[in-house]
Amino acid sequence: MTTPIRRATSALLVGSAFVVLATSCAPDPNDVRGAEHQHMSMPVDSAAVMGAPDRPIAGPQGAVGQFVVECPYSHALPDDPIVYPGEPGASHMHVFFGNVAVNADSRPEYLLGQDTTCEQRADTASYWAPALYHDDEMLIPEKSVAYYRAGLDVDPTRVVAFPFGLYMIAGDAMAVEPQPTSVVAWSCGSGAMRSETPPACPDKRGLRLDVTFPDCWDGEHLDVAGHREHMRYSTAGKCPSSHPVHVPQLIFSVAYSFSGDPTGLKLASGGVLTGHADFVNSWDQGKLEDEVRLCLHRDVVCGVTSGRVSG
Amino acid sequence: MRLFRALLGVSVLSVSLIACGSDDDAVDAPSTEAPTSEAPSTEAPSTEAPVAGVLNVPADYATIQEAVDAAAEGDLILIAPGTYKEAVQVTTDNIVIRGLDRNTVIMDGNFELDNGFRVVGASGVAIENMTAMNYTKNGFFWTGSSSYRGSYLTAWRNGDYGIYAFDSVGGLLEYSYAAGSPDAGFYIGQCFPCDSVIRNVIAEHNGLGYSGTNSGGNLVIVNSVFRNNRAGIVPNSGSYELCYPQRKTTIVGNLVYSNNQPDTPAIDVAILAMGNGILNAGGVQNIIERNRVWDHDKTGIGLVPFLEEDANDAIPGRDTWETDCATQKQQMPVIPDGPLLWDSQDNEVRGNVLENNRRADIAVGSAGSNLWELGNCFAGNTFTTSAPLDLEALAPCGSPLSETTGDWLAGDLNVITWLVDAETAPPSVDWKTATLPELPQLENMPDAATAPAVPANATPPTIDLAAIVVPDKID
Repeated sequence: MTTPIRRATSALLVGSAFVVLATSCAPDPNDVRGAEHQHMSMPVDSAAVMGAPDRPIAGPQGAVGQFVVECPYSHALPDDPIVYPGEPGASHMHVFFGNVAVNADSRPEYLLGQDTTCEQRADTASYWAPALYHDDEMLIPEKSVAYYRAGLDVDPTRVVAFPFGLYMIAGDAMAVEPQPTSVVAWSCGSGAMRSETPPACPDKRGLRLDVTFPDCWDGEHLDVAGHREHMRYSTAGKCPSSHPVHVPQLIFSVAYSFSGDPTGLKLASGGVLTGHADFVNSWDQGKLEDEVRLCLHRDVVCGVTSGRVSG
Repeated sequence: MRLFRALLGVSVLSVSLIACGSDDDAVDAPSTEAPTSEAPSTEAPSTEAPVAGVLNVPADYATIQEAVDAAAEGDLILIAPGTYKEAVQVTTDNIVIRGLDRNTVIMDGNFELDNGFRVVGASGVAIENMTAMNYTKNGFFWTGSSSYRGSYLTAWRNGDYGIYAFDSVGGLLEYSYAAGSPDAGFYIGQCFPCDSVIRNVIAEHNGLGYSGTNSGGNLVIVNSVFRNNRAGIVPNSGSYELCYPQRKTTIVGNLVYSNNQPDTPAIDVAILAMGNGILNAGGVQNIIERNRVWDHDKTGIGLVPFLEEDANDAIPGRDTWETDCATQKQQMPVIPDGPLLWDSQDNEVRGNVLENNRRADIAVGSAGSNLWELGNCFAGNTFTTSAPLDLEALAPCGSPLSETTGDWLAGDLNVITWLVDAETAPPSVDWKTATLPELPQLENMPDAATAPAVPANATPPTIDLAAIVVPDKID
């Protein structure tokens, strides 16, 4: 395990250097997040900045190469290490998956090597989403499912692993209008139906929040002020020249056991229209690179997840 | 039946062969008396010099992964007895990976690693003569392969499947054993035509003995044992993966018994299917013939619908059943706005011998469809009970079925009640801690140290189905 860690650390340092160049006020060269507290004064319309996939990505698995990681629920905190770093309690309530050590102070280099809830033990990344409430009672999710694929119509051999320490947010926590279902959608179980608002799901095929992350990176920044400008969605299989690096398209699905009448549901970030999710790449970088090479470059289905439930 | 006796009669000799990594291992190192063309004949032991075409673990390579990465097409990797805590990725075509002793070459995932072997888009890879246990996903896994073979494998206590082939064709799984998986012990899914054979295997104490989602087309399951699982042999259809419906699987000459096991790990479908021997769940055009099936709480052989609530595509019509998997992959799904009901259709159930299947020895059910319009037929079976009653008279093979052949409602299977039964069925037991039969000592591959490397062949052996008779009981 030492080789991937060394590789990951050097990737982190390279990434940090880029950030230092780009954000000259970073107080600590190892703190990739130094200068990004401006978010509070600059809410971002994520769709306007990052675009959206050409269409919702749903349907049977098995047509394109992918790897999938299921991560049972880890914990809930009113923390957000991307938006409110170092400010415990400053955020709305989030539900966390994967890395078990995440809190407001977490840095990728700290998360690496911590335990994870994921079945894929090398996935020590952190994933989180706003908590979901039903009549003011917080619903504990069952698990998350992270699908990693090439973006729609993207040549999978062009995809490279996320750089270690990358921060991403997808979806708009301040949305007051429905978001594109290609970015944020609600669904039932592993079904392909995508809705702007939570549907009434059948028993045992519970409600899911599905968030699709951008798949083009600017090649320089692990994070930026506002947490959006370094990422874009591909269009017609291409990344824009400003964000030329194809990274995996992460589709992140939070699975609840909740079924039936969706009346009374709301997200911690606001109503049911404010769906979003956050990702910190603190994977074992060597393993992540292996999965990209083996599954995406070779266009092989390295695993599937289905409606099957281990009872 | 010779295999069964051999498997059951295996001695405990191997218990003494747990010399993991001891100095004695070197004497087990093989010579290649009958080499492949890439491997010149030599009798030099591996301790003196590596033999071209033969890569010894750990003598030449400390880990299996290092040997696999170093291997070229045609090479043979020979693994000495020992416990290997590895999750091996294979991407090289046409290599053979072999344990020197099935029962003491042990891949151990230690409840942390995902797959013992994952063959990713490589073809011709054969894995032989070893055991994989305690993996969070699968013991042995092929995906995206155009030919594959698993022989003399033991998969024991793994978190998903025992031996698993997905989106792969040209497969042969043989002389293998799988126990303790919440999904299936053996699985072949998403292929049409699959051109694959499962023969002479044993599956027990799994959620499902065999499961095949959307697989078929020259797919043959013969001369095997499925016992003490929640359910035995379960071909099934579903739109969560591609190449539906499940079609054209031939199931002949198997022993299927006592699949009511309440203390196995189990996915939800296994709990729903519990108490059935051969359960055709939404599959079409399968042939189920000359199996011996006994001691099940529900049906011996049941043809039932599968309700898929979280659908991903519309059910393709009968006119598309010859469409191959590659073609179907290119088609855009049509997202339905409601659940799907996959009916079992055009299946043939012939010449099986059944007893003591408490709901019915042979059965066909639906959830609203008219049974006589589903085209399933039953002929020449030895049985006592059926649902509906007098099923062979109602649904004979070889002539069109009709509403007027009899009373299709008398003794209806009433399969909808199974959804209710599942609510009170014994729940899943954690796969990590479920009580299993002791890891059995099973028949070794003949001449493992010296047999030549034979990569998997895209054309599996032709099975002489006509020569297979209903097997005798073994218990």
